[in-house]
Amino acid sequence: MDRILHHATNASGIALRAAIYLFLALPAIVVICASLNPVDFLAFPPQGFTLKWYWAAFASKPFMDSLSLSTQLALLATAASLIIGTPAAYAIERFRFRGRGALQAFVLSPMIVPAVVLGIGLLQFLVWAGLSQSFAALFLGHIVITLPYVVRTMTASFSLFDRALEQAAMNLRAPPLTVVRRVTLPILLPGLLSASVFAFVTSFGNITVSIFLAHGGRATLPIQIFTYVDYGSDPTLAAVSTLVILVTVALLAVVERVAGLQKVV
Amino acid sequence: MAARVQGATDRTSRPARRTLALLAGPAAVFLLLFMLVPLLSLVRTSLYDSDKSFGGAGWSLRHYVRFLGDGFYVSVLGQTLVYGLIVSLFCVLVGFPLGYSLARMSPSARRWRIPMVILPLTLSLVVNVFGWLIILSRGGLVNKALLGLGLIDAPVQLLFSSFTVMLVMAQTFLPFMVLSIMSVVAQIDPALEQAAANLRAGRWTTLRRVVLPLALPGILAGSTLVFILTVSAFITPRLIGGTRVQMLGSMIYEQTLVVLNWPFGGAMSLILLAIVFMFVAGVNRLSRTRFSETRN
Repeated sequence: MDRILHHATNASGIALRAAIYLFLALPAIVVICASLNPVDFLAFPPQGFTLKWYWAAFASKPFMDSLSLSTQLALLATAASLIIGTPAAYAIERFRFRGRGALQAFVLSPMIVPAVVLGIGLLQFLVWAGLSQSFAALFLGHIVITLPYVVRTMTASFSLFDRALEQAAMNLRAPPLTVVRRVTLPILLPGLLSASVFAFVTSFGNITVSIFLAHGGRATLPIQIFTYVDYGSDPTLAAVSTLVILVTVALLAVVERVAGLQKVV
Repeated sequence: MAARVQGATDRTSRPARRTLALLAGPAAVFLLLFMLVPLLSLVRTSLYDSDKSFGGAGWSLRHYVRFLGDGFYVSVLGQTLVYGLIVSLFCVLVGFPLGYSLARMSPSARRWRIPMVILPLTLSLVVNVFGWLIILSRGGLVNKALLGLGLIDAPVQLLFSSFTVMLVMAQTFLPFMVLSIMSVVAQIDPALEQAAANLRAGRWTTLRRVVLPLALPGILAGSTLVFILTVSAFITPRLIGGTRVQMLGSMIYEQTLVVLNWPFGGAMSLILLAIVFMFVAGVNRLSRTRFSETRN
């Protein structure tokens, strides 16, 4: 009796967890199915298979323009965040100084400042600074939101870094640049790559801050999708959204292969 | 020699301070300029004595008075906080089993599950919400299934309700809770649970008396994030809830980009920010007192 009960609890536990995984992944799965559906994209189960919505998406100038804007923006914001965030993470991890905790809380704080507050704050500040509705506005805003991801990932990466390895290389009379190139960088590479991917997908998918900074001007891809969703549905939207899903999943797969996702999330 | 070592540990030496400034300076100055200064200038904007977004002047508390004196705004604020608490609680209940099982899994089993958990978090919010619109719309998945099973005769309206808005927000923010619980449970020695089992504690007793108290910091950290994200949401309420479900975030969005009343939008933003900080401070305090209790 006890064993039956035990198995029953186990089985219900497995069913419960399976249901939660499905709950998490369902929207993405449904979007992918809808993008391949030839007739009515809401029809389920799909009535056939087509790629025509993808050709329509590639032919759509608004979508392609915003895709290129989002890609450029995410690449530049990621690069800038890495350049200023990596040294900050190094300082936080390697130095013991007064205000270290405060510094760490400060550079991670964009994660807990509500995006809507950050958005309106930046909007009125950048209007005052004469930078509103420009690429620069989006660029600056996206550095703010990607920076905490870079600092968090790189702090973890530096904390796992065994400095004895560098010491050993120097004891073997390797010149400093060689130490950096052959020892430091290879060890930090998985961390740098994960930080870049998290920063990239954060910027690439962001709408909550972007919507305040790009109003009226050129739209990023998420803003374009938002506008289409707001004004009625179009199967092309499912194809474009699937592209976003594929880019995100592919980047996560890269992190999984190179660094192991479970070590960096 | 000894003095130098001591000096180095006691306070950072001058050259080290220079290195420190060079390393951490750019990030700190950047955030100072493009996060802190904008937030402080928002304080000024919220105190303008006008409803104009540009060229405001004077000092006044009228926007705060207007918000707190109007029953409608106060009720939306209360509703937003209730949604935040419900979504956090739901995420704890659903996220705990998942976070716990992930923490107790072999790394190879965890491998393909982690991407599934973090997908809603890394995927663009609008794409995720678009998926839910397909699922919940009149001709969507849920209605088709219910019609097929003969449970309903005509499609029902699932969108535009506070329940669906909360459900979608819970799905979007659940990863934060799962990851937070996973990382804290991974640090609990399984031997403790075995010890409790050896002492003939049942599964529930072990969970309640051993695992939960030790996992509390992770649960609180996850709840804080989920609560903050929920009370400041505006995209999901707007797309899933339409005009029927009002939240503080959607009103700020409306005032800022549609009505173009930045002083009022700013005042609401700062009220939201104050709530968030009070919540974070409260939770920090709670987890600190709980910790000292366990230690004594």
